[in-house]
Amino acid sequence: MSAPSPVKTGPSPAADPPFPERVAHRRRSLRRRYGHPAFYLFPLPALVLYVIFFAIPTVQAFQYAVTDWDGYSADYDSVGLDNFGQLAGGDDLFSNAMSNSLKFMLVVVVLQTLFSLVLASMLTRNSRSSTLLRAVFFLPTILSSVSVAFVWKFIYDPNFGLANGALEGVGLDALTSSYLGDDGKAIYFLALTQVWFHTGQMMVIFIAGLQQIPRELYEAAAIDGVSRWQRFRHVTWPMIAPATSIVIAYTTIQSFKAFDLVLGLGGNPPQGSLDILSTRIYTSFANSEFGYAAAESIVFMALIALVTVIQRRTVKLTQSGA
Amino acid sequence: MTENSRPYGLSRRGLLSAAVAGGTVAAAAGCVGPGSTRGGRGSKGAPSDVLPPVSGRADAQISFAHWRAEDKKVLGSIIDDFTAGNRGSGVQQDISPAQDYQANALQRLKGGAVGDVLTAFRGAQFTDMLDAGLFTELSAQTFADAYLPQHSRGGRDDAGRLFGLPYQLVFLMPLANRDLLEKAGYADPPQDWDGYLDLCDKLKSRGKVPLAWPGAEPGNAGQLFNSMVMNNAPSDDACARIASGKAKVTDDWFLALLGQYAQLRPFVQENASGTQVEPAQQMFARGSAAMLSTGSYHMAAVRQLDAKFPIDLVPPITVDKGERPRYVGTHNATFILGVNAAGEHATTALRFVEYLSTPSVATRYANGTAQHLTVSGVTYENKDLRATEHWLKKRTMLAPRYQIEDIDMLNAVEGACADVLTGTSPDKAADAAQRVVDQRRRK
Repeated sequence: MSAPSPVKTGPSPAADPPFPERVAHRRRSLRRRYGHPAFYLFPLPALVLYVIFFAIPTVQAFQYAVTDWDGYSADYDSVGLDNFGQLAGGDDLFSNAMSNSLKFMLVVVVLQTLFSLVLASMLTRNSRSSTLLRAVFFLPTILSSVSVAFVWKFIYDPNFGLANGALEGVGLDALTSSYLGDDGKAIYFLALTQVWFHTGQMMVIFIAGLQQIPRELYEAAAIDGVSRWQRFRHVTWPMIAPATSIVIAYTTIQSFKAFDLVLGLGGNPPQGSLDILSTRIYTSFANSEFGYAAAESIVFMALIALVTVIQRRTVKLTQSGA
Repeated sequence: MTENSRPYGLSRRGLLSAAVAGGTVAAAAGCVGPGSTRGGRGSKGAPSDVLPPVSGRADAQISFAHWRAEDKKVLGSIIDDFTAGNRGSGVQQDISPAQDYQANALQRLKGGAVGDVLTAFRGAQFTDMLDAGLFTELSAQTFADAYLPQHSRGGRDDAGRLFGLPYQLVFLMPLANRDLLEKAGYADPPQDWDGYLDLCDKLKSRGKVPLAWPGAEPGNAGQLFNSMVMNNAPSDDACARIASGKAKVTDDWFLALLGQYAQLRPFVQENASGTQVEPAQQMFARGSAAMLSTGSYHMAAVRQLDAKFPIDLVPPITVDKGERPRYVGTHNATFILGVNAAGEHATTALRFVEYLSTPSVATRYANGTAQHLTVSGVTYENKDLRATEHWLKKRTMLAPRYQIEDIDMLNAVEGACADVLTGTSPDKAADAAQRVVDQRRRK
């Protein structure tokens, strides 16, 4: 597309237009080039919110992280990188929370992606039953985390809970457990709750991705006589790459951000077996250790970025090799 | 597409410039030092002004910040009467959930916009609020004399000056079904450790869970710690000494205490570490458990679950046979009432605290909320409060768990007890807890 030339031809310098006209012309020219100045006001509200609620706290986190500020005193001391040093090797609670966070994230990402993909594959068609089932599976997503926590507290209760009751009912007494009270497995039971909570949400993203795949590709695959697995491996999987990336990245961040669900199920502060990074940082804040909590937040931020980058690359590699 | 072809579009460069400008502003704003945004008047450790005995009229609109949503109705009716007797006054309840209050109250209240009358949990929160200069000194107020002296120590600073009035009194020791104890041959509670184990054994042999313990909730599970410590600790400040590094979790007395926890293993319900407090209350209310290891603050909840049996408080007395126990129970004086030093209506706030401190008003509050109070002259009409009123005069220890003000240290120390109760060896649990305590102290 060619642009109209802003250069005028015709009148000689002696016949230059008067000054106000030249200014008006220049304004028109600038407006054509950059748009009306008023349009620059449109991103302003979002920018202001972003600056106040994201940019400033992020910058301040770096500043607080090198202090021992308690969160309310006017006085504080600079401690350099001591907070980070302590986090690196001298804080069992933080290491435990990081380990729990990674276990939780791994289980949630794998199971949530898998279940949502399976459900989406079965409910892609826009039939009445599919639409109804999609609504049913999506339902937990609209519940508040606290409600979900209360529901699952009673499912997991070892004495009166549904889980042990159901196992005993079918004669699997050996599999009954104390669930959230089992230090070695509590984090996985927490992850299962998170998976139940958000699988329906991810299913919707996969359904949108699956519905975008041209039918011709499946027809061609059918003519070639491929198996169902080959059809999934070589048609569906590469074609839903964008949806998969979104689901995995979103699930990762969502699992790191899990907070109210953990407090609802594990109390505040939760016991060590359920303590993840977000609850650990909150405990540090509640313990009047703003400087240390800020340092924990920065490590947390870096960890999320790192995991997200690794995941995106892994997904890309997996799907480019498909 | 050229820029000129979309005359009203925003250029990428323009947006980038705006973002950079925004970032620069953010960076500049972010460089404001920690603490520079704070409100309030006091600085850390600075005492607040001492107000003379209140003399003026209550005629302002004030805010009362607390976490007791379940008391809103009773307090609402008390507030109605207060405002009816003081024209021009008003009290707005500012209620946060207990967890939020514990985490955020200091930040919210230090500006003085809310919480002219404020409350604090005993322990870390009261200490932090005191350090932040949030409490007005109440030493000169005559209404402070209305409180039982043995139960109002918790509202003082290290120098003994009065800043807050612990309003509620809870007994943090196990509730017991007296009918079941009688059937087990213990009409009178056991007075030593062997007797306690024998009681548990007899209850178990009768098919009852001797002690329902909500292990999945550290806050409630940890209440048992108070009774276990009261006669095991070598001194009243033993837990504070652990927190300060003068004593260790691996010391002999604490290992002995952990050993007693290990002896309790057969007497808590199956899968106790996964039991929440509501199911534990159910077990007790239904009569399948003879004791509930939490405290008097659960008496009303248990009654709501239709428990009809007589309830008493039966702490484990951990001394040897024939040995005289130092304490016969533990209590906590909490819901520490105070006047916000950053508030603008001190007179009305003081008048309201004075009103809450009168025996007739305190009686309404106590019976309406089924709690004991530290105000003297309260008449308890609730049958459970009456039945346990005698504990107010007994030799009970101020709950030792709150001497450990660091949340992580407290969780580690109590967590060691919980771990032992669910199978870990005392030595291993003590080592792990001491490691966390040491790490927290190094910070």
